[in-house]
Amino acid sequence: LSLFPPVRPPKKTSPKKPPTKQQAAMAEEQMEEASSSAAASGTPFQLQFDKPIPFQIKLAEWNPEKDLLAMVTDDSKVLLHRFNWQRLWTISPGKCITSICWSPDGKIVALGTEDGFVLLHDVENGKMLRSIKSHDVAIICLNWAEDEPLSRTDKEDLLSYEDRTTRFFPPAPVMPRIGGLNSGDTGLADENEEAIQAFSSASCQRFNILCTGDKDGCICFSIFGIFPIGKININKVPIHVQSSGKRTSYRLQDVSISKVSLSRNLHQLVLLCSGKLINTDNLSLSNDLSVGVHCLHLDTSIFSNRKNELHQVSQQASSIQDLVEVVRASISMMSKQWSNAMNLFHEKFSALPSLLTAHGMESSSEDEFMSLLFGTHTSPALHQFLVSSLGEAGLKRIAKTIESAGRELRIVVSEHLQPAVEIISFRLAELRGLARWRSRFQNIGLDEKLMDGVTERVGMLVVQVERFSRVAATVLYLFQNFLSWVLKCVKILLSEPTDQVPSTNSELVVIFLKFLLDKDPIKQLLETDQIFEWDIDTAKHVEHLVVFGGFTDTKFLERSLAKQFSELEESLKEAFLMPFTTVSSQIHCQGLLPLYPVTSSDALSSTSTPASIAFYKQDKDSQHNASSYSSTDYICFKIPDGSLNLRNFVAVIKDFCNSCSTSNTPSLSGFLLHIPVEYECVDLSLYKDNQVVLLLSGKSSSENAGRSWMVMLQTENLSFSQFSRTFPANYYNLQELEALELQLDTDYGKVRSVPHPLSTPLAVSASRGVACIFSSRRHALVYILDEDEDEDEDEGSEME
Amino acid sequence: MRATAWEHYGSAPMVRMNTLVYATCFADAASSSELSLAYVKLIEQLAVFKGYSAAFCALKLAEEKFPSSTNSQIHLLKMQLLHERALHRGHLRIAQQICDEFGVLSSSVSGVDIELKTEASLRRARTLLAAKQFSQAAAVANSLFTTCYKYNMQVENASVLLLLAEIHRKSDNAVLGLPYALASQSFCKSFNLDLLEASATLTLAELWLALGSNHAKRALSLVYQSLPMILGHGGLELRARSQIVLAKCHLTDPEFSVSEDPCAVLDPLNQAAEDLQVLEYHEMAAEVYYLKAMTYNHLGKEYEREEAAARFKEHVTALENPRDEEDSLVY
Repeated sequence: LSLFPPVRPPKKTSPKKPPTKQQAAMAEEQMEEASSSAAASGTPFQLQFDKPIPFQIKLAEWNPEKDLLAMVTDDSKVLLHRFNWQRLWTISPGKCITSICWSPDGKIVALGTEDGFVLLHDVENGKMLRSIKSHDVAIICLNWAEDEPLSRTDKEDLLSYEDRTTRFFPPAPVMPRIGGLNSGDTGLADENEEAIQAFSSASCQRFNILCTGDKDGCICFSIFGIFPIGKININKVPIHVQSSGKRTSYRLQDVSISKVSLSRNLHQLVLLCSGKLINTDNLSLSNDLSVGVHCLHLDTSIFSNRKNELHQVSQQASSIQDLVEVVRASISMMSKQWSNAMNLFHEKFSALPSLLTAHGMESSSEDEFMSLLFGTHTSPALHQFLVSSLGEAGLKRIAKTIESAGRELRIVVSEHLQPAVEIISFRLAELRGLARWRSRFQNIGLDEKLMDGVTERVGMLVVQVERFSRVAATVLYLFQNFLSWVLKCVKILLSEPTDQVPSTNSELVVIFLKFLLDKDPIKQLLETDQIFEWDIDTAKHVEHLVVFGGFTDTKFLERSLAKQFSELEESLKEAFLMPFTTVSSQIHCQGLLPLYPVTSSDALSSTSTPASIAFYKQDKDSQHNASSYSSTDYICFKIPDGSLNLRNFVAVIKDFCNSCSTSNTPSLSGFLLHIPVEYECVDLSLYKDNQVVLLLSGKSSSENAGRSWMVMLQTENLSFSQFSRTFPANYYNLQELEALELQLDTDYGKVRSVPHPLSTPLAVSASRGVACIFSSRRHALVYILDEDEDEDEDEGSEME
Repeated sequence: MRATAWEHYGSAPMVRMNTLVYATCFADAASSSELSLAYVKLIEQLAVFKGYSAAFCALKLAEEKFPSSTNSQIHLLKMQLLHERALHRGHLRIAQQICDEFGVLSSSVSGVDIELKTEASLRRARTLLAAKQFSQAAAVANSLFTTCYKYNMQVENASVLLLLAEIHRKSDNAVLGLPYALASQSFCKSFNLDLLEASATLTLAELWLALGSNHAKRALSLVYQSLPMILGHGGLELRARSQIVLAKCHLTDPEFSVSEDPCAVLDPLNQAAEDLQVLEYHEMAAEVYYLKAMTYNHLGKEYEREEAAARFKEHVTALENPRDEEDSLVY
């Protein structure tokens, strides 16, 4: 048996010359025909098409539900293509994107950026739904895992929890838009709002967790991708290893996470990271070799054991957070609107005091208006002010501005602020109910006391909103009254008929002059640092109400609306921090396996070493025990040249998690695969049914430059050999493994040659059975991996 | 008022908040009867959530604030509270007396003051139930149901059905009670009366439990269903009741062993005991301590067992010889 057929062309075509585009296309056509006609003769992986693309692709990921491929270009543009290569949208978020993944339902694409943001984009139109800053440094890897529906047993179904909010409330209010001014793009904003709306409702369907791993060794977990539930720093996680009866503690330093994967039952997390392994008991033991790539197994059973509770809490909490944003936007918008109107008013009326000084009078403007009101006299200064500097037109303009601002205020309060606050309070009340169920919810950190505090705060906010709307209504009425009175005066001074002017109430004018000419209670209420004065009667009344179960904090009416809101926010943050820290503290490291050493010089590049982690359901004993099925993890990675004195090797190991947790399950095993010397492994990926897909590209020095191979191996056909996970006697146990020579014409799996030099990434879709590979000559090639299998096989069964 | 709607939908904090909004913001503008209604609501909340002493304290203040002795709402509230307390303390004679007063309050003309009348007969039925005169209680409740049905009072309908179920349960006729509880539950569902539905579910669980230990699992799942609702919005009594049922479910479940997971039983029992202490509800408190003593007995913790047993005895004696009956009318 020859090791590998080096120059033998694929069955039909042999592009000896570097093909031109047309030739290539023709060749592909022929190939396609050939492969369809000669499928029996053994050319696997039917080529779907070969399209040139004008970008260098950095990352690519198939949508798990639909035939969509999301790609990130080198200059961080995001493209979404259909299976037939029709482009749906392109966006450029303006940040360097370092990772990409899809939500399990395929409706959201999550992007990790270099500066630690997670951006969630809608699949429909590419609009950004959320941007969450959860990390400080670049996010290297994302993994969004959904709870396996099969693992729900009958008992849990009975515990299902209904969100009552939708039954009692109309749809939640959305962010207010600046009305009137930019009516041009309201259509756009509308769409966006709808999208956000749909997002927040749709995201609550099934429990899922987004894990993000960054360059500094932090992993964040967020439910639905929006509600942060935990964060751990691998640098600080103690790692205990049981070796030959002795327990040794280790710690990793300078960790950079390169891959995370959460199992489908949310029970375990496997991650690959590079870092320096230190024995905390004996620091002198570390040497050069201890810097390397390690594989860690974290116990995240808190997510699976408490998923119902977490689901309920996060469902309420994430919509509360949405609504808090609505309230914030409402308050800031009202404040903007009102200050615009007030600026105009003050600008116009500030002319009066200066005029008064110019005329050498010492009275204030309030006195002047008063004397005008009571008919004693009109000073020349006031006369000049009213008739010439203000004028009828100016007055009317002010009146109109204030009126429209008032209308805006009313609309915002009644359509956004009030419903939002009310729904917040309802949802909080529900959360408080959950918090009282101590036996269930305390261990995910929902604290009854904190929830009580928040409920109290939101109650005050409701009162504040009510008061605000009252104050605003009063102030607006007074303004209106005053302005029409002034208008009347102007008309009288100009000896014009006054019958057009609405009648005014002079008492209210006095009140206005006394209380509103210099002060602005609306503004006071909308600003955080203001202390609002409230009359003694009400203060007493509030104190009185305490006996009846009112708010114990009797001073709350002194605070402004905005201040009250910020207090609510604070206590909300505190309350939600509890689950966050509690859950974080319950994620432990279960096992460690050093994979291969790296020299510090290429430590950086090691993050880009191809690797893939996947969980496969164990098919043997899962049938009769569906509730506690276990899954086997497969880790597949390329060993960088030179490390472990190996060249051109790919390693596959399995059962890492199970070997950490229990003793009776199959222990850690794996094999090494030697790639033929003329080729190098460009990228690899685990594929459904325990397969590995490898991309091999001819080395430029060899005669095979420009030729590549795509190989799919059935791992079951390869012999896994067990190896021990005890160390540190010899740090890297991988050396023990048996090395197999990869022979491309044997029965290991399917092989297909690709007439292009290949580059990363390789995107395979288990649900669709397709692979997309990219050539370094800017071509995208899509292959069908499963053409032999039934094509009408339904997606559900294909999904693992 | 929105608060009343929330009361029916079952969101206690919302009731409180809306009432407070009203009491705070519209104190100057509202009429005295409306304001007094707001206060009544607040006091009701207090009684349900903080116990009677706090409620009576507030009631005194409210009476000062609205001095007109004819103010019917506050008067009614006072009687309601007194009745509840008398029932809880086991002062049946006084309870009966208050019931009669209720009956007098409403006018004798048929078709007028329906609400007051239903309230009166509801209370009479409950008093009879407490006095263990089941057949009479059932008769009153049945006639009440027909009245409510006639006048289309859905909320009352549901609660009367629930009461009937309760009566059957207490008279050891769990099978008869089941259809009533189920009817009440579906009634509540169609009218969005969530809290009442949760308590109907709870009663259902109690009934299943009464049917034997092999239904414990089913009862447990029913309790689990209603717990978030009850704990969030239910009053002290309801909360304590649900905790007791929870503990009972565990205890009767043949597959559950106390020694393995004592917290599952003791935790709810302790919470229930706390709540009932505030409420002065001797009957249920006695039950709690009985269960606690049993649990400790299983666990072999003698000291704790004796303690719980002593408390049990205390409550039973308090229930059996209502010594301080006179002060039941005083507050």
